[in-house]
Amino acid sequence: MSMTGKELTKLVTRLEAGEPLPAEFYARTGNARILGITGPPGVGKSSLIDRLIDELRRQGKTVGVIAVDPTSPISGGALLGDRLRMQRHSEDDGVFIRSLATRHHHGGLTDATPQIIHALDAAGFDIVIVETVGTGQDEVEVAEVADTVAVILMPELGDEIQRAKSGLMEIADILVINKADLMNAGTARREARPPNDGQKWERPTLHTSAKSGEGITILWGAIEAHQAYLVSSCELARRRERAARAEVIRLLQSRMSASILQSLEAPRAQNILTDVAQRKLDPYDAVERLSREVFGS
Amino acid sequence: MKRPIKVLIAKAGLDGHERGALVVAMGLRDAGMEVVYTGIRNTPEQIVQAAIQEDVNAIGLSSLSGGHMAQFTRVMELLKKENVKGVLVFAGGIIPDEDARKLKKLGIQEVFGPGSSIASIAEFLKKRVRPR
Repeated sequence: MSMTGKELTKLVTRLEAGEPLPAEFYARTGNARILGITGPPGVGKSSLIDRLIDELRRQGKTVGVIAVDPTSPISGGALLGDRLRMQRHSEDDGVFIRSLATRHHHGGLTDATPQIIHALDAAGFDIVIVETVGTGQDEVEVAEVADTVAVILMPELGDEIQRAKSGLMEIADILVINKADLMNAGTARREARPPNDGQKWERPTLHTSAKSGEGITILWGAIEAHQAYLVSSCELARRRERAARAEVIRLLQSRMSASILQSLEAPRAQNILTDVAQRKLDPYDAVERLSREVFGS
Repeated sequence: MKRPIKVLIAKAGLDGHERGALVVAMGLRDAGMEVVYTGIRNTPEQIVQAAIQEDVNAIGLSSLSGGHMAQFTRVMELLKKENVKGVLVFAGGIIPDEDARKLKKLGIQEVFGPGSSIASIAEFLKKRVRPR
Protein backbone atom coordinates (compact mmCIF):
# COMPACT_ATOMS: atom_id res chain seq x y z
CA MET A 1 0.00 0.00 0.00
CA SER A 2 1.29 3.40 -0.95
CA MET A 3 0.45 5.14 2.33
CA THR A 4 0.38 4.08 5.93
CA GLY A 5 -2.85 3.44 7.81
CA LYS A 6 -2.22 6.55 9.86
CA GLU A 7 -1.73 8.79 6.82
CA LEU A 8 -4.91 7.37 5.31
CA THR A 9 -6.99 7.90 8.45
CA LYS A 10 -5.87 11.56 8.71
CA LEU A 11 -6.64 12.10 5.03
CA VAL A 12 -10.13 10.67 5.51
CA THR A 13 -10.70 13.01 8.47
CA ARG A 14 -9.71 16.03 6.36
CA LEU A 15 -12.01 14.93 3.53
CA GLU A 16 -14.84 14.44 5.99
CA ALA A 17 -14.28 18.01 7.18
CA GLY A 18 -14.80 19.21 3.60
CA GLU A 19 -11.19 19.69 2.52
CA PRO A 20 -10.45 18.78 -1.11
CA LEU A 21 -8.75 15.55 -2.16
CA PRO A 22 -5.19 16.38 -3.27
CA ALA A 23 -4.92 16.03 -7.07
CA GLU A 24 -2.11 13.46 -6.92
CA PHE A 25 -4.51 11.07 -5.17
CA TYR A 26 -7.22 11.35 -7.81
CA ALA A 27 -4.64 10.48 -10.44
CA ARG A 28 -4.10 7.17 -8.66
CA THR A 29 -7.78 6.13 -8.51
CA GLY A 30 -9.84 3.88 -10.75
CA ASN A 31 -8.31 0.55 -9.80
CA ALA A 32 -10.52 -0.53 -6.90
CA ARG A 33 -13.87 -2.21 -7.43
CA ILE A 34 -16.59 -0.30 -5.58
CA LEU A 35 -19.31 -2.40 -4.00
CA GLY A 36 -22.42 -0.73 -2.55
CA ILE A 37 -24.34 -2.49 0.18
CA THR A 38 -27.72 -1.00 0.97
CA GLY A 39 -31.10 -1.94 2.42
CA PRO A 40 -33.40 -1.25 5.38
CA PRO A 41 -32.12 -1.01 8.98
CA GLY A 42 -31.55 -4.31 10.75
CA VAL A 43 -31.43 -6.65 7.75
CA GLY A 44 -27.79 -7.55 8.46
CA LYS A 45 -25.78 -5.34 6.09
CA SER A 46 -22.79 -4.97 8.43
CA SER A 47 -22.81 -8.65 9.40
CA LEU A 48 -22.85 -9.65 5.73
CA ILE A 49 -19.90 -7.34 5.06
CA ASP A 50 -18.09 -9.01 7.97
CA ARG A 51 -18.56 -12.34 6.17
CA LEU A 52 -17.60 -10.91 2.78
CA ILE A 53 -14.35 -9.62 4.31
CA ASP A 54 -13.55 -13.21 5.36
CA GLU A 55 -14.15 -14.40 1.82
CA LEU A 56 -12.07 -11.62 0.26
CA ARG A 57 -9.18 -12.03 2.67
CA ARG A 58 -9.10 -15.77 1.89
CA GLN A 59 -8.52 -14.73 -1.71
CA GLY A 60 -5.77 -12.35 -0.63
CA LYS A 61 -7.71 -9.22 -1.59
CA THR A 62 -7.46 -6.06 0.54
CA VAL A 63 -10.67 -4.36 1.63
CA GLY A 64 -11.62 -0.81 2.58
CA VAL A 65 -15.01 -0.30 4.21
CA ILE A 66 -16.98 2.93 4.58
CA ALA A 67 -19.90 2.39 6.95
CA VAL A 68 -22.51 5.12 7.31
CA ASP A 69 -24.92 5.54 10.21
CA PRO A 70 -27.39 8.39 10.80
CA THR A 71 -26.73 11.64 12.67
CA SER A 72 -29.34 12.50 15.28
CA PRO A 73 -31.60 15.32 14.06
CA ILE A 74 -32.03 16.28 17.71
CA SER A 75 -28.56 16.26 19.25
CA GLY A 76 -26.30 16.23 16.18
CA GLY A 77 -24.55 13.20 17.67
CA ALA A 78 -24.50 9.67 16.28
CA LEU A 79 -24.12 6.12 17.45
CA LEU A 80 -21.88 4.43 14.90
CA GLY A 81 -22.58 0.74 15.38
CA ASP A 82 -21.60 -0.89 12.08
CA ARG A 83 -17.99 -1.47 13.02
CA LEU A 84 -19.13 -3.60 15.97
CA ARG A 85 -20.14 -6.34 13.50
CA MET A 86 -16.75 -6.29 11.76
CA GLN A 87 -14.50 -5.48 14.70
CA ARG A 88 -12.70 -8.82 14.54
CA HIS A 89 -11.04 -7.62 11.31
CA SER A 90 -9.55 -4.55 13.01
CA GLU A 91 -6.19 -6.17 13.58
CA ASP A 92 -5.86 -7.21 9.94
CA ASP A 93 -3.56 -4.84 8.01
CA GLY A 94 -5.40 -5.70 4.80
CA VAL A 95 -8.66 -4.26 6.11
CA PHE A 96 -9.46 -0.61 6.82
CA ILE A 97 -12.85 0.28 8.28
CA ARG A 98 -14.13 3.82 8.76
CA SER A 99 -17.49 4.71 10.31
CA LEU A 100 -19.11 7.95 9.19
CA ALA A 101 -22.13 9.87 10.45
CA THR A 102 -24.45 11.36 7.82
CA ARG A 103 -24.21 14.86 9.39
CA HIS A 104 -27.63 15.61 7.91
CA HIS A 105 -26.74 14.58 4.36
CA HIS A 106 -29.72 12.92 2.68
CA GLY A 107 -29.48 10.08 0.18
CA GLY A 108 -27.94 7.36 2.34
CA LEU A 109 -24.28 8.45 2.27
CA THR A 110 -22.32 11.48 3.54
CA ASP A 111 -21.12 14.67 1.81
CA ALA A 112 -17.58 13.39 1.38
CA THR A 113 -18.25 9.70 0.61
CA PRO A 114 -17.17 9.98 -3.07
CA GLN A 115 -13.87 11.58 -2.07
CA ILE A 116 -13.29 9.04 0.74
CA ILE A 117 -13.84 6.24 -1.79
CA HIS A 118 -11.12 7.87 -3.92
CA ALA A 119 -8.79 7.96 -0.90
CA LEU A 120 -9.23 4.21 -0.24
CA ASP A 121 -8.89 3.49 -3.95
CA ALA A 122 -5.67 5.53 -4.17
CA ALA A 123 -4.38 3.80 -1.02
CA GLY A 124 -4.45 0.59 -3.03
CA PHE A 125 -7.36 -1.40 -1.63
CA ASP A 126 -8.64 -3.97 -4.13
CA ILE A 127 -12.25 -3.68 -3.03
CA VAL A 128 -14.00 -0.70 -1.45
CA ILE A 129 -17.29 -1.57 0.23
CA VAL A 130 -19.72 1.27 0.91
CA GLU A 131 -22.43 0.51 3.43
CA THR A 132 -25.27 3.04 3.39
CA VAL A 133 -27.43 4.03 6.32
CA GLY A 134 -30.42 1.79 6.83
CA THR A 135 -32.47 2.99 3.88
CA GLY A 136 -36.12 3.57 3.17
CA GLN A 137 -37.45 3.49 -0.37
CA ASP A 138 -35.81 6.60 -1.74
CA GLU A 139 -32.18 6.72 -0.60
CA VAL A 140 -30.45 5.58 -3.77
CA GLU A 141 -27.33 7.74 -3.92
CA VAL A 142 -25.10 4.67 -3.55
CA ALA A 143 -25.94 3.82 -7.16
CA GLU A 144 -24.05 6.99 -8.15
CA VAL A 145 -20.79 5.83 -6.57
CA ALA A 146 -20.77 2.02 -6.74
CA ASP A 147 -19.92 -0.31 -9.62
CA THR A 148 -22.14 -3.02 -8.18
CA VAL A 149 -25.06 -2.47 -5.81
CA ALA A 150 -26.38 -5.26 -3.61
CA VAL A 151 -29.71 -4.52 -1.96
CA ILE A 152 -30.10 -6.54 1.22
CA LEU A 153 -33.57 -7.50 2.40
CA MET A 154 -34.91 -10.07 4.82
CA PRO A 155 -37.93 -12.36 4.84
CA GLU A 156 -41.39 -10.90 5.47
CA LEU A 157 -40.56 -7.32 4.44
CA GLY A 158 -43.56 -6.87 2.18
CA ASP A 159 -45.69 -8.17 -0.64
CA GLU A 160 -45.23 -7.85 -4.40
CA ILE A 161 -46.57 -4.27 -4.47
CA GLN A 162 -43.72 -3.22 -2.23
CA ARG A 163 -41.17 -4.66 -4.62
CA ALA A 164 -42.88 -3.14 -7.64
CA LYS A 165 -42.37 0.38 -6.26
CA SER A 166 -39.71 2.72 -7.59
CA GLY A 167 -36.48 3.54 -5.83
CA LEU A 168 -34.42 1.15 -3.79
CA MET A 169 -35.49 -2.03 -5.60
CA GLU A 170 -34.59 -0.53 -8.97
CA ILE A 171 -30.93 0.11 -8.16
CA ALA A 172 -30.16 -3.48 -7.18
CA ASP A 173 -27.72 -5.38 -9.36
CA ILE A 174 -28.05 -8.22 -6.88
CA LEU A 175 -30.88 -8.83 -4.46
CA VAL A 176 -29.99 -10.59 -1.25
CA ILE A 177 -32.45 -12.08 1.20
CA ASN A 178 -30.43 -12.28 4.37
CA LYS A 179 -31.58 -14.09 7.52
CA ALA A 180 -32.73 -16.91 5.27
CA ASP A 181 -32.29 -19.12 8.34
CA LEU A 182 -35.38 -17.46 9.80
CA MET A 183 -37.98 -18.92 7.51
CA ASN A 184 -39.02 -20.94 4.52
CA ALA A 185 -36.47 -19.77 2.01
CA GLY A 186 -38.61 -20.84 -0.95
CA THR A 187 -41.20 -18.26 -0.01
CA ALA A 188 -38.54 -15.61 0.40
CA ARG A 189 -37.20 -16.28 -3.07
CA ARG A 190 -40.61 -15.93 -4.67
CA GLU A 191 -41.49 -12.72 -2.83
CA ALA A 192 -38.22 -11.04 -3.68
CA ARG A 193 -37.77 -12.03 -7.33
CA PRO A 194 -37.75 -8.82 -9.38
CA PRO A 195 -39.98 -8.43 -12.44
CA ASN A 196 -38.37 -9.58 -15.64
CA ASP A 197 -37.87 -6.28 -17.44
CA GLY A 198 -35.65 -7.47 -20.25
CA GLN A 199 -32.41 -6.20 -18.76
CA LYS A 200 -29.34 -7.91 -20.06
CA TRP A 201 -28.02 -8.48 -16.57
CA GLU A 202 -30.38 -10.97 -15.02
CA ARG A 203 -30.49 -9.74 -11.50
CA PRO A 204 -30.12 -12.72 -9.21
CA THR A 205 -31.92 -13.13 -5.93
CA LEU A 206 -29.75 -14.90 -3.40
CA HIS A 207 -30.31 -16.27 0.06
CA THR A 208 -27.74 -15.72 2.74
CA SER A 209 -27.38 -16.13 6.45
CA ALA A 210 -24.76 -13.82 7.91
CA LYS A 211 -25.35 -15.71 11.14
CA SER A 212 -24.28 -19.13 9.82
CA GLY A 213 -22.19 -17.95 6.87
CA GLU A 214 -24.37 -19.78 4.38
CA GLY A 215 -24.62 -18.29 0.91
CA ILE A 216 -21.64 -15.93 1.29
CA THR A 217 -19.48 -17.69 -1.31
CA ILE A 218 -22.43 -17.65 -3.72
CA LEU A 219 -22.98 -13.95 -3.02
CA TRP A 220 -19.34 -13.16 -3.78
CA GLY A 221 -19.64 -15.26 -6.94
CA ALA A 222 -22.61 -13.13 -8.04
CA ILE A 223 -20.67 -9.92 -7.32
CA GLU A 224 -17.75 -11.19 -9.44
CA ALA A 225 -20.13 -12.25 -12.21
CA HIS A 226 -21.63 -8.77 -12.20
CA GLN A 227 -18.18 -7.19 -12.37
CA ALA A 228 -17.28 -9.39 -15.33
CA TYR A 229 -20.53 -8.30 -17.00
CA LEU A 230 -19.71 -4.63 -16.33
CA VAL A 231 -16.42 -4.99 -18.17
CA SER A 232 -17.66 -7.13 -21.08
CA SER A 233 -20.68 -4.91 -21.72
CA CYS A 234 -18.76 -1.61 -21.35
CA GLU A 235 -21.26 -0.76 -18.63
CA LEU A 236 -18.38 -0.14 -16.19
CA ALA A 237 -17.12 2.79 -18.25
CA ARG A 238 -20.68 4.19 -18.47
CA ARG A 239 -21.23 3.88 -14.72
CA ARG A 240 -17.90 5.47 -13.91
CA GLU A 241 -18.56 8.37 -16.25
CA ARG A 242 -21.92 8.88 -14.59
CA ALA A 243 -20.24 8.76 -11.17
CA ALA A 244 -17.59 11.31 -12.20
CA ARG A 245 -20.22 13.71 -13.56
CA ALA A 246 -22.40 13.31 -10.48
CA GLU A 247 -19.43 14.01 -8.22
CA VAL A 248 -18.50 17.25 -10.00
CA ILE A 249 -22.12 18.42 -10.05
CA ARG A 250 -22.47 17.73 -6.33
CA LEU A 251 -19.26 19.56 -5.46
CA LEU A 252 -20.38 22.48 -7.60
CA GLN A 253 -23.83 22.51 -6.01
CA SER A 254 -22.35 22.46 -2.57
CA ARG A 255 -19.99 25.37 -3.36
CA MET A 256 -22.78 27.42 -4.97
CA SER A 257 -25.12 26.65 -2.14
CA ALA A 258 -22.54 27.91 0.38
CA SER A 259 -22.05 31.03 -1.70
CA ILE A 260 -25.81 31.63 -1.91
CA LEU A 261 -26.18 31.28 1.85
CA GLN A 262 -23.36 33.77 2.34
CA SER A 263 -24.92 36.29 -0.04
CA LEU A 264 -28.23 35.95 1.77
CA GLU A 265 -26.58 37.40 4.87
CA ALA A 266 -26.66 40.84 3.19
CA PRO A 267 -29.24 43.22 4.76
CA ARG A 268 -31.01 43.73 1.43
CA ALA A 269 -31.48 39.97 1.06
CA GLN A 270 -32.62 39.65 4.65
CA ASN A 271 -35.28 42.31 4.07
CA ILE A 272 -36.64 40.38 1.11
CA LEU A 273 -36.82 37.18 3.18
CA THR A 274 -38.58 39.04 5.98
CA ASP A 275 -41.13 40.38 3.48
CA VAL A 276 -41.96 36.80 2.46
CA ALA A 277 -42.33 35.72 6.09
CA GLN A 278 -44.73 38.67 6.62
CA ARG A 279 -46.74 37.73 3.51
CA LYS A 280 -45.85 41.02 1.78
CA LEU A 281 -44.03 39.22 -1.02
CA ASP A 282 -44.55 35.77 -2.50
CA PRO A 283 -41.64 33.28 -2.63
CA TYR A 284 -41.38 33.33 -6.44
CA ASP A 285 -41.16 37.14 -6.62
CA ALA A 286 -38.61 36.94 -3.81
CA VAL A 287 -36.46 34.61 -5.91
CA GLU A 288 -36.77 36.98 -8.90
CA ARG A 289 -35.74 39.99 -6.82
CA LEU A 290 -32.89 38.10 -5.11
CA SER A 291 -31.57 36.93 -8.48
CA ARG A 292 -31.65 40.48 -9.84
CA GLU A 293 -30.66 42.57 -6.85
CA VAL A 294 -28.41 40.28 -4.80
CA PHE A 295 -26.91 37.78 -7.24
CA GLY A 296 -27.02 40.12 -10.24
CA SER A 297 -28.31 37.68 -12.85
CA MET B 1 -19.24 23.13 10.31
CA LYS B 2 -17.66 22.30 13.64
CA ARG B 3 -16.56 18.68 13.80
CA PRO B 4 -18.37 16.81 16.56
CA ILE B 5 -16.20 15.09 19.16
CA LYS B 6 -15.66 11.47 18.04
CA VAL B 7 -15.37 8.86 20.79
CA LEU B 8 -14.69 5.13 20.75
CA ILE B 9 -16.48 3.18 23.48
CA ALA B 10 -15.25 -0.38 23.92
CA LYS B 11 -15.09 -3.20 26.39
CA ALA B 12 -11.85 -5.15 26.56
CA GLY B 13 -11.33 -8.78 27.39
CA LEU B 14 -13.74 -11.39 28.62
CA ASP B 15 -16.41 -9.16 30.10
CA GLY B 16 -19.98 -9.43 28.88
CA HIS B 17 -21.49 -6.67 31.02
CA GLU B 18 -22.52 -4.37 28.22
CA ARG B 19 -25.30 -2.22 29.65
CA GLY B 20 -23.13 0.47 31.26
CA ALA B 21 -20.99 1.01 28.16
CA LEU B 22 -24.08 1.17 25.95
CA VAL B 23 -25.78 3.69 28.27
CA VAL B 24 -22.66 5.88 28.17
CA ALA B 25 -22.48 5.53 24.35
CA MET B 26 -26.10 6.63 23.97
CA GLY B 27 -25.64 9.43 26.52
CA LEU B 28 -22.67 10.85 24.63
CA ARG B 29 -24.62 10.59 21.37
CA ASP B 30 -27.35 12.65 23.03
CA ALA B 31 -24.66 15.14 24.07
CA GLY B 32 -23.91 15.68 20.37
CA MET B 33 -20.92 13.39 19.97
CA GLU B 34 -20.21 10.78 17.31
CA VAL B 35 -19.74 7.53 19.17
CA VAL B 36 -18.19 4.45 17.60
CA TYR B 37 -19.43 1.57 19.71
CA THR B 38 -17.50 -1.66 19.33
CA GLY B 39 -19.20 -3.67 22.06
CA ILE B 40 -17.83 -6.48 24.17
CA ARG B 41 -14.81 -8.76 23.99
CA ASN B 42 -12.43 -6.48 22.11
CA THR B 43 -8.73 -7.22 22.34
CA PRO B 44 -6.51 -4.23 23.24
CA GLU B 45 -5.05 -4.57 19.73
CA GLN B 46 -8.50 -4.26 18.14
CA ILE B 47 -9.31 -1.23 20.29
CA VAL B 48 -6.13 0.60 19.32
CA GLN B 49 -6.47 -0.20 15.60
CA ALA B 50 -10.13 0.89 15.67
CA ALA B 51 -9.12 4.15 17.36
CA ILE B 52 -6.54 4.79 14.62
CA GLN B 53 -8.81 3.88 11.70
CA GLU B 54 -11.71 5.88 13.10
CA ASP B 55 -9.42 8.81 14.04
CA VAL B 56 -11.25 9.37 17.32
CA ASN B 57 -10.58 12.18 19.78
CA ALA B 58 -11.13 9.96 22.81
CA ILE B 59 -11.35 6.32 23.88
CA GLY B 60 -13.65 5.19 26.68
CA LEU B 61 -12.79 1.79 28.16
CA SER B 62 -15.29 -0.08 30.28
CA SER B 63 -14.66 -3.00 32.60
CA LEU B 64 -16.79 -4.65 35.24
CA SER B 65 -15.07 -7.99 35.47
CA GLY B 66 -11.81 -7.19 37.23
CA GLY B 67 -9.61 -7.40 34.15
CA HIS B 68 -9.05 -3.66 33.92
CA MET B 69 -5.41 -3.52 35.03
CA ALA B 70 -4.11 -6.02 32.47
CA GLN B 71 -6.38 -4.91 29.61
CA PHE B 72 -6.16 -1.14 30.04
CA THR B 73 -2.41 -1.26 30.65
CA ARG B 74 -2.01 -3.10 27.35
CA VAL B 75 -4.16 -0.50 25.54
CA MET B 76 -1.93 2.28 26.88
CA GLU B 77 1.22 0.39 25.85
CA LEU B 78 -0.08 -0.15 22.34
CA LEU B 79 -1.12 3.49 21.93
CA LYS B 80 2.43 4.44 22.85
CA LYS B 81 3.94 1.82 20.55
CA GLU B 82 1.76 2.99 17.65
CA ASN B 83 2.71 6.59 18.44
CA VAL B 84 -0.92 7.68 18.72
CA LYS B 85 -0.98 11.25 19.98
CA GLY B 86 -3.71 13.60 21.14
CA VAL B 87 -6.22 10.87 21.96
CA LEU B 88 -7.72 11.18 25.43
CA VAL B 89 -8.33 7.88 27.25
CA PHE B 90 -10.86 7.53 30.04
CA ALA B 91 -12.27 4.54 31.86
CA GLY B 92 -15.38 3.42 33.67
CA GLY B 93 -16.78 0.47 35.58
CA ILE B 94 -15.97 -1.33 38.79
CA ILE B 95 -12.45 -0.13 39.45
CA PRO B 96 -11.03 0.13 43.02
CA ASP B 97 -9.56 3.53 43.99
CA GLU B 98 -6.08 2.11 44.28
CA ASP B 99 -6.24 0.73 40.73
CA ALA B 100 -7.73 4.00 39.48
CA ARG B 101 -4.66 5.82 40.83
CA LYS B 102 -2.35 3.39 39.04
CA LEU B 103 -4.32 3.73 35.79
CA LYS B 104 -4.06 7.49 35.98
CA LYS B 105 -0.30 7.16 36.31
CA LEU B 106 -0.36 5.18 33.06
CA GLY B 107 -2.01 8.11 31.32
CA ILE B 108 -5.71 7.33 31.68
CA GLN B 109 -7.15 10.77 32.26
CA GLU B 110 -10.18 9.94 34.39
CA VAL B 111 -11.91 6.92 35.90
CA PHE B 112 -15.70 7.08 36.28
CA GLY B 113 -17.07 4.73 38.92
CA PRO B 114 -20.64 3.60 39.64
CA GLY B 115 -23.04 6.53 40.07
CA SER B 116 -21.16 8.84 37.71
CA SER B 117 -23.61 10.90 35.67
CA ILE B 118 -23.58 10.93 31.87
CA ALA B 119 -23.55 14.73 32.10
CA SER B 120 -20.28 14.65 34.06
CA ILE B 121 -18.65 12.39 31.45
CA ALA B 122 -19.87 14.59 28.58
CA GLU B 123 -18.71 17.71 30.39
CA PHE B 124 -15.29 16.14 30.99
CA LEU B 125 -14.90 15.29 27.30
CA LYS B 126 -16.05 18.70 26.08
CA LYS B 127 -13.55 20.37 28.39
CA ARG B 128 -10.61 18.07 27.81
CA VAL B 129 -10.73 16.99 24.16
CA ARG B 130 -8.19 18.93 22.15
CA PRO B 131 -9.74 20.86 19.33
CA ARG B 132 -8.23 20.00 15.95
